[in-house]
Amino acid sequence: MSRNALDRAVLEWISEGALAPPDRERFDRLALALFAYQYEHNLPYRRFCTALALDPGQVNSFREIPAVPTGAFKEARLATFSPDQELRTFRTSGSTTERRGALHLDTLELYEASLLSTFGTYVCPEGKPIRFVVLAPTQRSAPESSLSYMFGCAVERLGLPSSRFYLTEADSNPGELALDLDTLDEPIALVGTAFAFVHLLDFLREHAQRLFLPPGSRVMETGGLKGRVRELSREDLHESIAEWLGLPAERIVNQYGMCELGSQFYEPSLRTGRPTRTKQVPPWVRTRVVDPESLEDVATGETGILIHYDLTNTGSVLAVQTSDVGRLSPDGFEVLGRAPGAEARGCSIATDLLLGAP
Amino acid sequence: MSDLESLRKRQAELTPDRVLSCLDRALSAWRDPGSKVREQLRAKHPVFSPEVVDLGCDLGLRQWTRASLDALRAREIPALYRAPTVTAVWLAGCVPTASFAAIVYPLLVGSAVYVKPSAADPVSPGLFRESLLDADPAVGEAVALGTDAEVLREADAVVVHGSDETVSELRARVPVDRIFIGYGHKVSISAIGQGIGIETAARDLGRDITLYDGRGCLSPAWVLVENTPSGRSLEFARALGKELARLASALPPGRLHAEEHAWVHDRRARATLREGTTLLSSDGTAWSVILEAVRAPCEPGMLRTVPVVPVATLDDLGEWCSRHAPHLSSVGHAGWGTRTAQLGEIVALCGASRLCGLGNMQVPPIDWNHDGLGPLSALIRRVDVETAQG
Repeated sequence: MSRNALDRAVLEWISEGALAPPDRERFDRLALALFAYQYEHNLPYRRFCTALALDPGQVNSFREIPAVPTGAFKEARLATFSPDQELRTFRTSGSTTERRGALHLDTLELYEASLLSTFGTYVCPEGKPIRFVVLAPTQRSAPESSLSYMFGCAVERLGLPSSRFYLTEADSNPGELALDLDTLDEPIALVGTAFAFVHLLDFLREHAQRLFLPPGSRVMETGGLKGRVRELSREDLHESIAEWLGLPAERIVNQYGMCELGSQFYEPSLRTGRPTRTKQVPPWVRTRVVDPESLEDVATGETGILIHYDLTNTGSVLAVQTSDVGRLSPDGFEVLGRAPGAEARGCSIATDLLLGAP
Repeated sequence: MSDLESLRKRQAELTPDRVLSCLDRALSAWRDPGSKVREQLRAKHPVFSPEVVDLGCDLGLRQWTRASLDALRAREIPALYRAPTVTAVWLAGCVPTASFAAIVYPLLVGSAVYVKPSAADPVSPGLFRESLLDADPAVGEAVALGTDAEVLREADAVVVHGSDETVSELRARVPVDRIFIGYGHKVSISAIGQGIGIETAARDLGRDITLYDGRGCLSPAWVLVENTPSGRSLEFARALGKELARLASALPPGRLHAEEHAWVHDRRARATLREGTTLLSSDGTAWSVILEAVRAPCEPGMLRTVPVVPVATLDDLGEWCSRHAPHLSSVGHAGWGTRTAQLGEIVALCGASRLCGLGNMQVPPIDWNHDGLGPLSALIRRVDVETAQG
């Protein structure tokens, strides 16, 4: 299949909606075609497959497609197209001295189609425009952030004109935000990074300012909670959001995503009316939970590391192995966080610090 | 009574003879593979396999005898000095003998010790304290374990092991008039010249890697191999792979966390993406040897996954070491013959504080000058006595 035919086939599937029933045969067919395409056009990925002694002729199911660990996106330009065709690059977060992973895109069509379908389904299920209050930098101030791009896209396509971004890379003003949130008269979608919520909640606590968002409002938070400012669990964060923003727990949604993937995963609590930690997987993505050593599937309910097969990654690599620990559930998967890393249990220096250069 | 008050009282009983006798008895127990403390450490250590724990104690404590403790005191402690009454020791990492040494040194200067165990190994310091209690309760009682950060303000001396960030943060909490010793981020390197047989070097290096599963700051993060004649580094990488495969059974690695397995997969994947890099590895995540094609910066090894970097000359080696100058600790070497002194000068300029034989990287002697500091002299304040009239 040509790249264009692959893109059209994936877009067609996305157009059927995030809640369309899974179709294993269709997924396998498209995944194998995409793997063959990426094996041929993504040379670093082919080198990776060759080291594993695997090529498209030997692969019969999406499960057998070699998955690249997320760190590989820091090492090589994993793209099926040449740099001059590049439209946008999303990079993983990190300091200027760290190597950062990159997702290179020559089209944003699939990325946008997937995000609007899932974002709309799980954050704006009413299908009506809503006022967004975004706790993340704008695309202009963070042009390489996939999160900022995602929020920008959601605001533009799903939001009311009164929507607003409250953070820039250099500045945050929780006082102004708290004041604005306190004077709302219409439901909002308060969306942003988990750490932005931590900052907002710290401010509210410090000023003993309890807010009550208008009925119909919802919160969507995303991103990691470890290693910055202070650590807390997702449960604690959601409890605090419920307490200080006056929202019932089922109106708070966690989104799980990563720069290396074109698709994201959401908790369906707004749709079901029940808080849950399970992330749902759209039909154009498959997620496996594997034993971290053997990379063989573990049984449903057992913990392992997550591998995602995302058909929207047509221009890079569809199979991405994460360092996230999770478990499968009947209707999706749960993310249990990350086990302490190798560096955490030794006394050797952090890798990025030693390399000392991007 | 608070821990600190209690420790101050106990310190009065720490006469040199009493401490030395107690340590001698306790360390003898630790050297005995059949002792209760060894058995407990094998069973309870949260990171290492029983075989690794045993080898670490056998080799690491071999020289920690009464005679060597006496000699260390004689070398470092002057006639007149002031010792801290209580030393606070903040531990990091998971190497049991490193925890033991951190407790032994303050005791040897006559200081009571408040120990905060590391999150990675809460077991070893407690067992060491138990061995002291068995040997002499008065000395054992002069060691307390806890997590009270207030002690950093109250102790007379503070020793912190950890990341540079941790050292920096804790240093800020310690009053300026106290002794503060910070052992921050460190990394070690193996340097293999052409004058040693490939099999011998692979055997010795295999021990340096497998002992403590590549987790310590004395574990070789990179193996620099003199690639003369051309292709020798590949030959060496293969021999090392064979040795690590053998040691995976003889000295099995400890249980890895999920993210540690993921790290190994990640590291291997990244190696295969680099042109010319050769990857040799086990089926699972037990070991990997990554032979880099060129002397370009690459990530350090860990967890029995180790990069082998070919170098053409000693200058190349020096250039590599200079990149890690602020963090260089030990250099395990072999095969440099008459160029060994030159190697020493080069790595010393790059900040290394220890040159040792390949195969001995993980077993520094008790009188090791950790990061160039005398283990006892750094803890005390000397008192000069000058002649005066009358």
